Amino acid sequence: MHEYETVIGLEVHVELLTDTKLFCGCSTAFGAEPNTQVCPICLGLPGGTLPLLNKKAAEFTIKAALALNCEIAPKIAFDRKNYFYADLPKGFQISQYFYPMGRNGYIEFLVNGKTKRVGIHQLHLEEDTGKLSHIGDDIISSPSSRVDFNRAGVPLMEIVSEPDIRSAEEARLFLQKLRSIIRYLDISDCKMEEGSMRCDANISIRPVGSTEFGKKTELKNMNSFRSVYRGIEYEAERQRSVVLSGESVIPETRHWDEAKGVTRAMRSKLVSADYRCFPDPNIPPYPVTEEWIQEIKKTIPELPDERYKRLTEEHDLPSSTAEVLTSSKELADFYDAVLSVHNEPKTVSNWIVSEYLGLLNAAGMDITESKITPAGLGKLLQSIAKGEISGKIGKTVFEEMFNTGEDPALIIEKKGLKQISDTDTLSRIISAVLAANPQSIEDYRKGKKRAMGFLVGQIMKETKGQANPQLVNKLLMEELNK
Amino acid sequence: MDFYKHIVQKLAGEVNAKEVSPQQIGEDVARRCAAVHEKCNAFIKFDPELIEKGIKDISQKIAQNKKLPLAGVSFGLSDAICAGGTTTTCASRMLESYRPPFEASVVLKLKEWGAFPAGKTNMDEFNLGATGKNSFFGEIKNPWDTEYTAGSGAAAAVSSRAVNFALAPDGCGELRHSASYCGIPALKPTYGRVSRKGLVDVAPSLDQIGIMAPSVLDLAAILEAISGYDPEDPTSFAHEVPSYTLLLQEKENIGPFKVAVPENWAEAPYLEEGIKKAFLETLEYLKKENFQVQMVSLPNFSHSIVTAAIIRAVEAFSSLGNYDGVRFGLRVEGSHLQEMYRKSRTEGFGSNLKQFLTFGALISAGNYYGRVFQKAQKMRTLIIKELESCLQSFDLLFIPAVPFQAPLLSSNDKACLLPDPAGYYTAAANLAGLPAITIPVPAESVSGSAGVQFIGKAFDEAKLLQAGLLLEKENPPRFPNV
Repeated sequence: MHEYETVIGLEVHVELLTDTKLFCGCSTAFGAEPNTQVCPICLGLPGGTLPLLNKKAAEFTIKAALALNCEIAPKIAFDRKNYFYADLPKGFQISQYFYPMGRNGYIEFLVNGKTKRVGIHQLHLEEDTGKLSHIGDDIISSPSSRVDFNRAGVPLMEIVSEPDIRSAEEARLFLQKLRSIIRYLDISDCKMEEGSMRCDANISIRPVGSTEFGKKTELKNMNSFRSVYRGIEYEAERQRSVVLSGESVIPETRHWDEAKGVTRAMRSKLVSADYRCFPDPNIPPYPVTEEWIQEIKKTIPELPDERYKRLTEEHDLPSSTAEVLTSSKELADFYDAVLSVHNEPKTVSNWIVSEYLGLLNAAGMDITESKITPAGLGKLLQSIAKGEISGKIGKTVFEEMFNTGEDPALIIEKKGLKQISDTDTLSRIISAVLAANPQSIEDYRKGKKRAMGFLVGQIMKETKGQANPQLVNKLLMEELNK
Repeated sequence: MDFYKHIVQKLAGEVNAKEVSPQQIGEDVARRCAAVHEKCNAFIKFDPELIEKGIKDISQKIAQNKKLPLAGVSFGLSDAICAGGTTTTCASRMLESYRPPFEASVVLKLKEWGAFPAGKTNMDEFNLGATGKNSFFGEIKNPWDTEYTAGSGAAAAVSSRAVNFALAPDGCGELRHSASYCGIPALKPTYGRVSRKGLVDVAPSLDQIGIMAPSVLDLAAILEAISGYDPEDPTSFAHEVPSYTLLLQEKENIGPFKVAVPENWAEAPYLEEGIKKAFLETLEYLKKENFQVQMVSLPNFSHSIVTAAIIRAVEAFSSLGNYDGVRFGLRVEGSHLQEMYRKSRTEGFGSNLKQFLTFGALISAGNYYGRVFQKAQKMRTLIIKELESCLQSFDLLFIPAVPFQAPLLSSNDKACLLPDPAGYYTAAANLAGLPAITIPVPAESVSGSAGVQFIGKAFDEAKLLQAGLLLEKENPPRFPNV
């Protein structure tokens, strides 16, 4: 019996963060009253449809193409993709068929500790359609439908991967990495819940070792990373069942049903639509010069992969830590900023990954909403390093900082948390504790190491945890070994 | 009261000097428009209110002692061009009630200069020809003899002097055809010389707004008014607009020009003896005026009309994809979306238009796309190269305007053909985006004249006007009594 491997290609649509639409000055703001952000151009009114290209959208797309290691097209050229649907006001979508902005790129990400490269077939710019809402389930079965053209004309970037993805997990990691890079570039907020990032999958299976592609299905309506994962898993399994039962997979478009956790056939792909693509005669091609590309390159920040490299190679951080830190630009920037105050990569990274992220996750908060500043954490870590407070106390202070945004020095002062490092003070307390616990001294001398811990505990209790632990250990050892 | 016969600059001067009042003009124009509408069906509907509103605006400005370059000048506006306060139908049932929420850039400019639209002129549906038989609003009759077609209401209105000039689109030569049928001069500018914002899209790479007027000096004055870069039309050029009227007054520097004539010019299908004779006589006259006339070989010139018809059909099928009954225009309800589309477009479009759109849909689909459409695009490049190369050694190309005089309205032999035989000599200028002028010269025809045509280099309208003026001096224009 053959083992089958799953072959997956992803098509991702990303809404760009421009203020206005791709070909007119209408606002792209989310959540407005229906049909209030429209004009003759994006409504496709006769006499009013001459498109005026949004330069920023073009720049964002070139930026993304560069970040995804693509070859950049020599000119910005748009084509008409002609078809009829109620959410398509002009009867054609302005897209890029002949000269996509970027081609032959790639994304790399870690899968089980190993680097996996997924090719980017192409990346291009196009306009979004309007939004339909049906009184029934879909346009066929509804007595009427409504269409909101606010979204029509919003700039969309479409990224098509090569069919290099081999599992639902890889798909998820691919999407995470893609989203991370795009957010680093600050060209989209990539929120699947809001529809600013959408993903369709092309899925097929084939016997392991085969180089030919099996029949593929296109899977739509996956509205979260989790849906993508579950959808792909389900579909791959469904195709295996089909093939193992002796049937063939029907090439078709399928719809992911989140509630029922299954995929359902939508329409046959046997007859593909004829889009009659040709260059849009109303949009003169715009040259992409080397100078312009260089200018745009300069605006690209240090991307996740480069940061990861720097953190693992120069800062010698373990790969899992580096991955977490570079997963978001804000987090990575925060790390760098703290380092500029307290230059101890291992300490800083550990604090961020365990303490800080722990607090953020518990509060359901994003780092951008947090009251903690890089300077604050930096100063706290310096205090610990100087021995002003213990690491344990430091965690308490940090929590307070998280809740109030106060300066660590202030909190330490207010709560009197300064670590006791004075030898005389500590010696007195140690002597007192030893005097009160002669049995423990006995136990320790008999070889019960645990007695030491107990005594340290008592000392800490006496000092409300503020005794300098290293000093306590040292002094106590001296006493016990007398 | 023969101020209506004055060239536009003289008329404007009289109005500015308060020798003629806008009210006088308004009454006169209304009377003359009513007459030509009655005789020729020149307008979509005759609307005296439109005239009144225009006159009111001008009166106010004149009362404020404003000096307007085209004060009181009336114009016919093809119903393919958007204007305020009235419908823009493109002579189609589909747009019978369409009132655009904006005005064409050329209309705004002309109004600023003190001119006013006297009415929306009748035309073939979506300007697909100058047969005068394909308007939802009835046949368009020639003011010289109503058994024959005028080609367009614009030509009828200008030749009967109801208006001082008219603006109409030219996709494969319709402007020039109808001007020839009615015996008046017409100019199609260089592609990009005049803004297309507000001209309803049919074939955006071919269409241009052109001018019809009673004299060449009028053409020059209007060209000066409407030319120039428009930020709302990305295909308009920022070439400087010369003072065409001043250039025409330089009597010293006019000609002699080097003129090329395609050696196989007489091979045009349906070429009538009367046209041939008129053309040859004019050729002799040019030689007498020291023009250097030479026969040249332009082997691909004769393919222009087929090439243009193919490209136009594909672009039109795409550009008319927004007529679906969803947001504007005629909607015929159906039991589902597809049915609504089908019914609305079946009932909204005339049969000639439907035939043309079907042709466009067919030749851009499947195998035909490569075999027909792409071939036509390549042929277009060849025709352009041929023309431009020729115009490097010559100032002008000289050819007839239309192979035949105005057809009989009762005859169908030339009305429903694909490609339109009337476009044999005119389509090349649209393919290449070059400017072209037609001038009436004496001929045996219903209008007593036939059009001859000069094609010039890009943005070299001045030479066209100069050559036109020379011919006009020899053959002063004639106008029918209406």
